[in-house]
Amino acid sequence: MDKKWVILCSTAVAAVYAAGYFTTETQASIVQPPLYIEENHQSNDVQPNDMPTISSQTNNSQTNNSQTNSSQTNNSQTNNSQTNSSQTNSVEPTTPIIRLYQDGTYTGLGKNRRGSIQVAVTFKNDKITDVEISKFAMHYSKRDVVGLPEEVLQIQSAQVRNVSGATYSTRAFKDAINDAMSQAQNA
Amino acid sequence: MDTVVSIQVVCGESNSMEMVEAQINRAFEAFYHVEQACSRFSIDSELMRACRQIETPVPVSPFLFEPLKFALEMAQWTDGVFDPTVGKVMEEHGFNRHYLTGQSVQSTVTDSELVTYRDIVLNQQDRTLYLKTPLVIDLGAVAKGFAIDLAANELNQFEGFVVNAGGDLFAGGVNEQGYPWEIGIQHPESKEHIIHTLDVSNKAVCTSGSYERKSVDVTGMHHIYNPTTRQSPNDWISCTVIAPFAMMADAFSTASFMLGLEKGSRLIEQVGLEGILISSKLQIVKVGGVL
Repeated sequence: MDKKWVILCSTAVAAVYAAGYFTTETQASIVQPPLYIEENHQSNDVQPNDMPTISSQTNNSQTNNSQTNSSQTNNSQTNNSQTNSSQTNSVEPTTPIIRLYQDGTYTGLGKNRRGSIQVAVTFKNDKITDVEISKFAMHYSKRDVVGLPEEVLQIQSAQVRNVSGATYSTRAFKDAINDAMSQAQNA
Repeated sequence: MDTVVSIQVVCGESNSMEMVEAQINRAFEAFYHVEQACSRFSIDSELMRACRQIETPVPVSPFLFEPLKFALEMAQWTDGVFDPTVGKVMEEHGFNRHYLTGQSVQSTVTDSELVTYRDIVLNQQDRTLYLKTPLVIDLGAVAKGFAIDLAANELNQFEGFVVNAGGDLFAGGVNEQGYPWEIGIQHPESKEHIIHTLDVSNKAVCTSGSYERKSVDVTGMHHIYNPTTRQSPNDWISCTVIAPFAMMADAFSTASFMLGLEKGSRLIEQVGLEGILISSKLQIVKVGGVL
């Protein structure tokens, strides 16, 4: 590959850190620096030259963090756009006795500024046995998400395929599934 | 950036929720910073403020300097087909509405149609921007990619993550099953279908399409504009580029869109990237050995 462009990109990222922007303005959101640095060394094989400069100062003020595995983190204060974060912890296959999900049907909601999607997810013996879109109120066609419940059943996770080009409905759908899953998990 | 930004993280048991969320917040802040610096749609952005100062070296932050530098390199590389000085033309063709307020921006800059990227001079030493003549800079084809790269850099330590900004994305590491991320490319004519699927790890995937944003004022014009022909190119309907950085994927997908069938695919090949290009007749062209 033409190295010139790669170098341009990596120096561009590095320039932001060299100027100290990320460290000075976002210190308050760093919670556990020691752990973070350790993790960083382990799995940083992407852009080794562009490591963020980490302050070793511990700061416990949490501005934006919610304790629950909420499927929707609204950053509109700082971000000017609707943002979602979802998190997936890997399931240990060695502990089958412990039920991860309580049997039953749970309603999950996913929304962004284009609308909302509500799903009903049924769990039985730690498996998703049924997924239904119970309410669709997006500004887009419902056809966008029509195949997704089937996909969730197949892969047993909310991680349906990312679509390059049209993500609003898919994203809201994923959030709804995640929401339902975390409810089943905490029930 | 009129986009929904979503961040997805796969983390091991050793990561605490607080740390994960803090890191995700930092990643989101990248978008905030880049938007503040590069938005053509708010008169207060660093970009628009700089555009009001002619024949004066203006010191600018790296959030503006770096994507602009990349855009100028691209302009040179494509001999001005890709040109970040198309801002005023875009504005005049109706691409001037702020996505949050809905207000349209009418910049006070009056440029002639003859401005080119050569009217912008960047000084690497003192990191200043100098405009030879009044013009409006448009960083639509690089700024979002740059923000994605900064966000990705914040998430490097996780097993896997996807930063998705309205369909342009960086997929790092592996998904929760331990496999490369599966990324679908939307069918340009029917939203509910995926025309191609890619397995991606530590790569960016960006798509430039003519199907999403059309001009309300001028028929046949969409948000990609070629200043040398003064038209919107229509050889391609969708150009997807896979690259190690999102800024690269973003800029090259736009540039290949501009350059049309032959030159567009050659550009991607030349630089050693991979691409999936779809012609207006819905023919799929794979470039650079992509599977």
